[in-house]
Amino acid sequence: MKAEYANPFIRSAKLIFEKEIKINLTRKDLVKKEKPAPTLPVSIVIGVTGPVKGQVVYSMDDNFAYSVAKAMMPNKLPNEIRKMINSAVSEVANMITGRASIEMAGENDMIDITPPAVFTGPGIRMDFLNIPTISLSFLSEIGILEINVALTEGKRG
Amino acid sequence: MYKGMIVDDAAIMRMRLREILDPQFDIISEAGDGEQALKNYEKANPDFVTLDITMPKMNGIDTLKTLIEKYPDAKVVIVSAVGQKKLVFEALATGAKDFIVKPFDPERVRQSINRLFE
Repeated sequence: MKAEYANPFIRSAKLIFEKEIKINLTRKDLVKKEKPAPTLPVSIVIGVTGPVKGQVVYSMDDNFAYSVAKAMMPNKLPNEIRKMINSAVSEVANMITGRASIEMAGENDMIDITPPAVFTGPGIRMDFLNIPTISLSFLSEIGILEINVALTEGKRG
Repeated sequence: MYKGMIVDDAAIMRMRLREILDPQFDIISEAGDGEQALKNYEKANPDFVTLDITMPKMNGIDTLKTLIEKYPDAKVVIVSAVGQKKLVFEALATGAKDFIVKPFDPERVRQSINRLFE
């Protein structure tokens, strides 16, 4: 995978967390993998098609996911926040991918992204595309965010 | 009071948009995908719609095309994370009145809806 595909996600993730969650993300590691399999228990999978295609898989632990939902609905009670966790982390993943897609599409191309799919808990089996992956991890005051970017060149025009 | 419909597959975004618009507008309907949005529009006949693009079943652009074909005067504001230039042009050329990129500033949303009725 071209390393340049990872950069829009780094910029986008930092921006979205700063604006929407009001926390700073700090880049930790960049690891190369054979496929975008996540290492943390809450995962959000988004498909990408167009001039760039593949999968982007976000992953985090339960506390991180709860903190994201809480930041997006600060005036709600804990039980109301818990009901919205999947929706909140999906939407943040959608915003990061959407913002990165603006950069990757440029002036003349269009990149489609699929609605996010959330998977939680141990023992969930998922099939991932065998696309060389750059796995980015970020540190923050609410924990670690992992973004597995598995993108390759697709059809233009 | 003008009546609105919010279309977004993320429940948290529907909730937030409702909170932003509720004091000034009457949010009479919500939908989580394009197919449901078309059904709800027919029943509720809202004065305006906020429409997401990335949704299951029918995406926002196809929903917008169908809606404008059937109701040429429909007032639709796109609220989407996918603000690619080509997509913004396509949405505006199809008949959307505005295109707001997520994450949004609440005031930007209110201004956009207010402008529909000036």
